Amino acid sequence: MAQAQKEFSVVGKNIPRIDAYERVTGQAQYTGDIQLPGMLYARVLRSPHPHAKIIGFDASKAEKLPGVKAVIHHGNAMIPWSSGGHTHPRFIFNNPVRFVGDAVAAVAATDRHIAEQALALIAVKYEKLPHVLDPNEALKPDAPKISTNGNLSVGKGNFSAPIEESWGDLDQGFKDADRVFEDTYITKHTNNAQLERRVSIAKWDAGKLTVYASTQGVSNARTDIAKDFNLPLSRVRIVCKYMGGGFGNKNQAQDYDYMAAALAKVCGQAVKLEFTREDDYIGMHGRWASEQKYKIGVKKDGTITAVSLDAVTNIGAYRKQSGNLSGTDFYQIPNFKKHIKPVHTNTVVGANYRAPAYPQSVFGFASFLDHIAHEMGLNPLDMFTKNRIQKYKSKIPFTSNYLDECIVEGSKRIGWQEKWHKPGALGDAKKHGIGMALGGYPFRPGLGAATIRVNPDGTAHLLVGVTDIGTGAKTTMAIIAAEALGIPLNQIQVTNGDTDVTPYSVGESGSRTTPFTGPAVIAAAEDVRRQIFAIAAGQLKVNGDELDLRDGQVFAKADPSQRMPLGRVVARSGDLIGRATTNQSFKDVEGKSFAAHFAEVEVDTWTGHVRITRYVAAHDSGTIINRLAAESQIKGGIVQGIGMAFTEELITDRLTGIPINPNYRDAKVPTHLEAPEVEVIFIEHPDPFGPFGGKVVGEPPITPAVATIANAIFNATGRRIKELPITPDKILQARQV
Amino acid sequence: MQEGKNGKGVSRRDFLKGIGGGAIGTAVVSTGLVKPGEVEAYTQEGLGATRGKATLNLKVNGKNYKVEVEHRHTLAEVLRDQLGLTGTKIGCDRGECGACTVMINGRNLYSCSQLAVWMEGKEILTIEGLAKGDKLDPVQEAFIEHDGPQCGFCTPGQIMSGKALLLKKPNPTEAEVRRGLSGNLCRCGNYNREVAAVLAAAKAR
Repeated sequence: MAQAQKEFSVVGKNIPRIDAYERVTGQAQYTGDIQLPGMLYARVLRSPHPHAKIIGFDASKAEKLPGVKAVIHHGNAMIPWSSGGHTHPRFIFNNPVRFVGDAVAAVAATDRHIAEQALALIAVKYEKLPHVLDPNEALKPDAPKISTNGNLSVGKGNFSAPIEESWGDLDQGFKDADRVFEDTYITKHTNNAQLERRVSIAKWDAGKLTVYASTQGVSNARTDIAKDFNLPLSRVRIVCKYMGGGFGNKNQAQDYDYMAAALAKVCGQAVKLEFTREDDYIGMHGRWASEQKYKIGVKKDGTITAVSLDAVTNIGAYRKQSGNLSGTDFYQIPNFKKHIKPVHTNTVVGANYRAPAYPQSVFGFASFLDHIAHEMGLNPLDMFTKNRIQKYKSKIPFTSNYLDECIVEGSKRIGWQEKWHKPGALGDAKKHGIGMALGGYPFRPGLGAATIRVNPDGTAHLLVGVTDIGTGAKTTMAIIAAEALGIPLNQIQVTNGDTDVTPYSVGESGSRTTPFTGPAVIAAAEDVRRQIFAIAAGQLKVNGDELDLRDGQVFAKADPSQRMPLGRVVARSGDLIGRATTNQSFKDVEGKSFAAHFAEVEVDTWTGHVRITRYVAAHDSGTIINRLAAESQIKGGIVQGIGMAFTEELITDRLTGIPINPNYRDAKVPTHLEAPEVEVIFIEHPDPFGPFGGKVVGEPPITPAVATIANAIFNATGRRIKELPITPDKILQARQV
Repeated sequence: MQEGKNGKGVSRRDFLKGIGGGAIGTAVVSTGLVKPGEVEAYTQEGLGATRGKATLNLKVNGKNYKVEVEHRHTLAEVLRDQLGLTGTKIGCDRGECGACTVMINGRNLYSCSQLAVWMEGKEILTIEGLAKGDKLDPVQEAFIEHDGPQCGFCTPGQIMSGKALLLKKPNPTEAEVRRGLSGNLCRCGNYNREVAAVLAAAKAR
């Protein structure tokens, strides 16, 4: 894109969010804050068994409780939930139930306490079925079958098969190696744990369904709901203006949206269905657990010759995502093979959580690479630098790749050369360690749409379907519009997140909003600029294509003193409307944002406690559109990585299949006390394909964080922890070995 | 809070019983107390019938409100559902996340863990009452400037804890700010920004 090189007036500055005022005053209305007249409240009853057939269901006592309006369950609400499982049927209530937490019924009542009481009055008779919690056990021939096809997940081709990918000649690669290493790394199920519990408000007006959803994507939510309720798109409206976080587990439409819609239909009243925090931990999904077996061949100088990855991932009772592992993406691997089995078990679903396939497998691969460096007497910095990715799958060039600069600048900032030492060599009771890892996330363009309306006074409205889950997407879109249109940021009003009003947006997941919707905003601005210049041409007596618009002034490029404020140009033109639907794609190139992270830790060898004393994150995300929000994203992703590294794990009781810590306190998400100051470095080079040269920001920071910390702990203690989370007991045990 | 009767005639035990209906629905899931193979219904006879009610005077953000509440209603619920003050968020409803933090007589407390009936005669300050007319509180200003909110759901709670800290300690150290806000989770992980904002607000005053 040509704009990449020019001087920006708005892009790249530290810009407070355009809706920050609403967020700091309590005026921002989140889904759960909405009150509709006569609205009912709903709650969900969940299975206490990991696998059971429902053989009796009696809600008569619940229905007699004053205030109860409706009870729905698998017997009276067999509604398919297609976004819940792409390729095999799942309903909002299932029989048999397949994990502890599988929804059994939902109750609507005049207030939430009555709804909760009613849940306790529903008598469900279960016939327990044999269950399996461990993915390796689940693959055995005599294991209880969870899905009709068996427990190896049904993939995109609608048949059960492992995920396989390979290139080069693996055998030759291992023959070329001077040494071959093999090891296994294990990661656990962690929950997204966003602060806003899932909530949905549904109402029907003359056959039209409106859902105030807490969704990451209103457009996709509409598509799913329309399909599953058999409604035309025009009769479904999804609204989400403010969103209290999701990190991947509020994509599309969810079963609670469907339950609210079904209850609202039955009751003829608006219904608000809200999860409890425990519902939120077990009822939806977290990050899939994994067991990763690596075989890595290297030359004497540390150069990788071949990698094979054989893995099992636990995607829980239903398929929502692939269960893939992609942590090898950041390394130049000439000969490669991966074979991953995503497996169903009778546990909470494992699916999207910020950079779904990455942090767990970056932990495995980058830990192992760090360890191989140690075994071969190499400095990890050299090992990572030497093996950093240069071409995608060893052959396809990247649109831009400044991973080398990330490594150089990040290592310089933390003082790697001065501080790195032999593992375990520095400190006595409290050991010092330093570690690093590489990460990033794919950057790809795709379908986007935007409308810009220029008012007769020269101000503008931007209409986009984005929901802004906390990424600052609303502000990013406003910045792109202001820059592309040529008017000050404060002259732009953003209307977002309402399918009746705003055009399609992909939904905030997979770091796609800026690369998908950003180009549409630019194109819509260009469309309306052409209209503006056509009008101004007559007024300024200059050809339209010789005009420019900056800072709200239309002027002749040849003679900027020939100018007119935009408000005067369009004063008599009514509203000018610029629109665009764009759908770019890459040909023979791949896109990726890159990152190199560095951390220093202090490990207390008496208590096993780890303190992160310094953290440096160097990122290549192309041009940074909003420095302030982008830095916050980086810092936040790392804090989530810290939780995954040290404490977070949803623990399932082996005997009963019951998750025993589905809450903030026991699953232990990081607090202010565990968050180090994160130093963010942006290696800024415009990407030729991104809007104003920008790539992606949201997903990359969590990808290398876990491995970086794990490698720093190894450098401190000289002991490798191969299983997450790295809790004090594991550190103490490792030291005793 | 002491055991036994307090101002409005609700004991802690009544309160616990009051929330029992909800707690049991989830207790089935979380404790595994259920014997396999049996019909699983907890009879909660009388639970619906014995709900106590009280009328009380609430003083919120300097305004007096007369509200009718059930004994089991928490302050967070009454603020949100009855007074429409939805800036106070409920993230966990069990005293873990801090999204519902308000100030009660100058202290930052979780409003999900306070019964409304305990609030008679107390001064409650919520996020909506922090600004003086159009003039934002310095903590709010600093949160805008320093990108305090990402998703913004924890932001009102963070701000209330920051405000309470600054009232007690006008010039806190960074470590004191971290400790002062440590009861407020931010899953976006925006802790650096929130601490920077509170420190900046301290300087601005």
